[in-house]
Amino acid sequence: MTTSLPIDHELHPAGAQYVGAKINRVEDPRFLRGEGRFVDDMSLPGMLHAAFLRSPVAHANITSIDTSRAAALPGVTAVFTGQDLEAEGIQPIVSRAFLPGMGDNLREPLPTKKVRYVGEAVAVVVADSRYIAEDACELIDVEYERLPAVIDPEGALDPGAALLHEDLPANLIGRKSESHGDPERVFAEADHVFSHRFVHGRVAGVPIECRGVIAEYDRGREGFLIYSSTQIPHLTRSVAAECFGLAESDLQVIAPDVGGGFGIKAHPYIEEVVIPFAARRIGRPVKWIEDRYEHLSSAVHAKELVMDLELAVAADGTFLGMRGRYNANAGAYGCFPQTGMVDAMCAATLLPSLYKVDHVSYEILAVYTNKCMTGTYRGVGWGAGHTAREVLIDDAARALGRDPLELRLQNCIPSEPYRSVVGMNYDGGSYQESMEQARDALDYDALRERQAKLREEGRYIGVGFSPFVEPAGFGSKAAAAVGQKHQVTYDWGSVTLEGDGTVTVRMGFHSHGQGHETTFAQVAADQLGVRMEDVRIKYGDTEGVPYSTGTFASRSGVIGSGLIMRAGGDVRDKLLRLAAHLMEVSPADIELSGGKAFVRGAPDTARTIKEVAQYAYFGPGSRQLEGDMALTSTRSYDPPESYSNGTIAVVVEVDPETGKVTIERTVAIEDCGVMLNPTIVEGQVAGAVAQGIGGALYEEFVYDDDGNFLSGTLLDYLLASSMEVGPIEVHHIETPSPVTDGGIKGMGEAGTLAAPAAVLNAVADALSPFGVTFTSTPITASLIRDAVAAKREGEQ
Amino acid sequence: MRTVSLTVNGNPVEEEVEPRLLLSDFLRHELGLTGTHVGCEQGVCGACTVLVDGETVRSCLTLACQADGTAIQTVEGLAPNGGLNVLQRAFQENHGLQCGFCTPGFLMAATALLERNDDPSEEEIRDELSGNICRCTGYTGIVRSVQAAALQLREGTVTASEGTAG
Repeated sequence: MTTSLPIDHELHPAGAQYVGAKINRVEDPRFLRGEGRFVDDMSLPGMLHAAFLRSPVAHANITSIDTSRAAALPGVTAVFTGQDLEAEGIQPIVSRAFLPGMGDNLREPLPTKKVRYVGEAVAVVVADSRYIAEDACELIDVEYERLPAVIDPEGALDPGAALLHEDLPANLIGRKSESHGDPERVFAEADHVFSHRFVHGRVAGVPIECRGVIAEYDRGREGFLIYSSTQIPHLTRSVAAECFGLAESDLQVIAPDVGGGFGIKAHPYIEEVVIPFAARRIGRPVKWIEDRYEHLSSAVHAKELVMDLELAVAADGTFLGMRGRYNANAGAYGCFPQTGMVDAMCAATLLPSLYKVDHVSYEILAVYTNKCMTGTYRGVGWGAGHTAREVLIDDAARALGRDPLELRLQNCIPSEPYRSVVGMNYDGGSYQESMEQARDALDYDALRERQAKLREEGRYIGVGFSPFVEPAGFGSKAAAAVGQKHQVTYDWGSVTLEGDGTVTVRMGFHSHGQGHETTFAQVAADQLGVRMEDVRIKYGDTEGVPYSTGTFASRSGVIGSGLIMRAGGDVRDKLLRLAAHLMEVSPADIELSGGKAFVRGAPDTARTIKEVAQYAYFGPGSRQLEGDMALTSTRSYDPPESYSNGTIAVVVEVDPETGKVTIERTVAIEDCGVMLNPTIVEGQVAGAVAQGIGGALYEEFVYDDDGNFLSGTLLDYLLASSMEVGPIEVHHIETPSPVTDGGIKGMGEAGTLAAPAAVLNAVADALSPFGVTFTSTPITASLIRDAVAAKREGEQ
Repeated sequence: MRTVSLTVNGNPVEEEVEPRLLLSDFLRHELGLTGTHVGCEQGVCGACTVLVDGETVRSCLTLACQADGTAIQTVEGLAPNGGLNVLQRAFQENHGLQCGFCTPGFLMAATALLERNDDPSEEEIRDELSGNICRCTGYTGIVRSVQAAALQLREGTVTASEGTAG
């Protein structure tokens, strides 16, 4: 019997019942009972505890380190410095150049010669308890020879600026320019040119669980077991293997339950090398749990950009051209793998967004400074660039006497697939419709009337719109579209029908809040016709799941579902043949649904999928089937570019005397194509919006001119609470992607990307009687109050 | 070393502790109750919230020896039979959690709120929970979860002991 059915790549094969439904998350009960297993919940026999001594200075040569007093403290097992790692040939983490003129950035796991930012790890103590390890850190004597600190990104390239990396000719990470169309001409001919310099504040994902590492060395096999609170265990494995000169499979990296990522845990870190090193030297497992100061000062920051934007506009309001210069203050080291160019590249390539603009040019650069290195944070530079652009558009609308939403609608691209002038291939969406839906949800005309009425009473409300298009489902082509041609992505996944009729999906997409155990079970259950409770989603262990570039950039939903459709289709094909053989009918007549296989139209013929699976594994008759009958398949998927879109609108009330902003209402229109589970989509939107509100109003990592870090607690770096965020309404539009498997588009970042612009525009709209505009984030209460006061003084 | 004698989730505990040992570390690493999470050790995020004699307390800012003679409730005590109580179920049904790390702290803070007031307004819920930070949900699902649990408690479809820490 060699009947071969076409592989079914449909998201909704016959009998499907789960994809698209609002289904409660299957992973919730363990977290609700306090039975999640996070890194700090783990303990290995004989385990010791580590604490790092970190640099209190921004830029200095290390003259000497004396660890003798620390090592002598009772309970201390060992103290290691960069010299110890260098002596054993531990290699630096290399952030590789990918543009002409760019240099590789080498980061020693612990520095041997100099420190480059406050919070940089200098030495590690391993002791019986974390308490003793921290005591011992205070007994390490380090002599520093202070060097001038480089803090300002515009000054970092001055010939007189101190050099951070002596092996590089300057503090320049990289530089690139592009021009499309004829921007010089349209800017010369335009009736209006609007411009501003916008400085985006330095922010980060700041998950509630800090990072952590446990390492154990297997002396016999010469390999490591590493637990890490990382989003991407395979990436950690690659980097650690390279630093130790080991084969990748000599290391097993496990990311157990992870308490939030948001990009900050999408990078390998030096602690994932230093802690394994210590475990190998000592011969016992070592645990390090990052404390909040360490997290705030030394896990990647993001999005600090100086952006010079120009917008050329015709007399009738038509956008003619855009120009941008993006300078990223990328901190002391290059993050792996994207380098410090990531924010500037992402901001610049999305400059035209969903506007029909045919003439665009930009310059991007990134510089080393004596701050924490920057990396990825939900929405990356797309968000920073978006805020700068959308604030400038509102400024232009006010200057032109135009309604900000009407001006955007006038310049919006159509809903069909569209190639932007910089070469991004949007796969179609609801670009205009989402704006109109936001307007209708707000009852816009009535809102404007209320605004006018309240102003007469001395109250100031305002509304801000932020329509967005968001690169998502990030594969190799999407990476190339944002200028990262060097960074291909690679993802495999497997689907297996077990002998008891349950289904196991193995993929490298770690879930740290996204609900993969639910959404991927929905997709797999529909592919194989089993019940959702009979599906298990495995992830997080490099020994247990195939390779994956990992969870970031709204990619897991698209790629993971595609992998399950492909591999699940292969297994479904074999399952149908087995069922047909067992039931003595043709495979084409079999339907799979609800855990049963039956002849279409004749449910009384049903055999359970468990019976079919047992027939495959244990029934001699099944061996009559020809061909490869492994009930498992491993497939890869690298999707084309796809883009979610939507609009976020925010209504605020501002107290001009205190600068206090109250968010009255947030409306989010989300179009992420075919939805797997609207509940999860709505949760992702709300969470992302809250982070966007935080970045707009409260969050910023502050350094003084000498590079001292002033945001070392959550009382300094303010996260929005339930009082600040306010209610968030989510509305859906579903425009299936014509290019991805199942029409799914990635989602999850847009709120963080787009909400800040809506907030800034709403506050400026509220304060328009004072003529206040903004050119930076965050717009804190004191900044708003001072801006109003300055305008009032100017009038007197 | 000091001897502390207390109850945790109704179980008597007597241990020798270092005077400087934090209550959070005592619960997590001495008693193995790792459901109480540590997010900042700065008293800000609220992940480590437990109930001490019925009041919400930041276990990261409390010494274990200060808990001598008290009755402590942690997330592990909410549904001792391994199921979910009404509040926990409401969190699942209203998408009140994502990564799950801040969740035990929110559950304990909400438990204390509902024991005092089974009909809180949205504003009261937001105010009462503002000492806890969630970085995933935007609070929308959490507020809805507490409202749903309160409604069930008021309707009497569950008993108070099923409904809260019991």
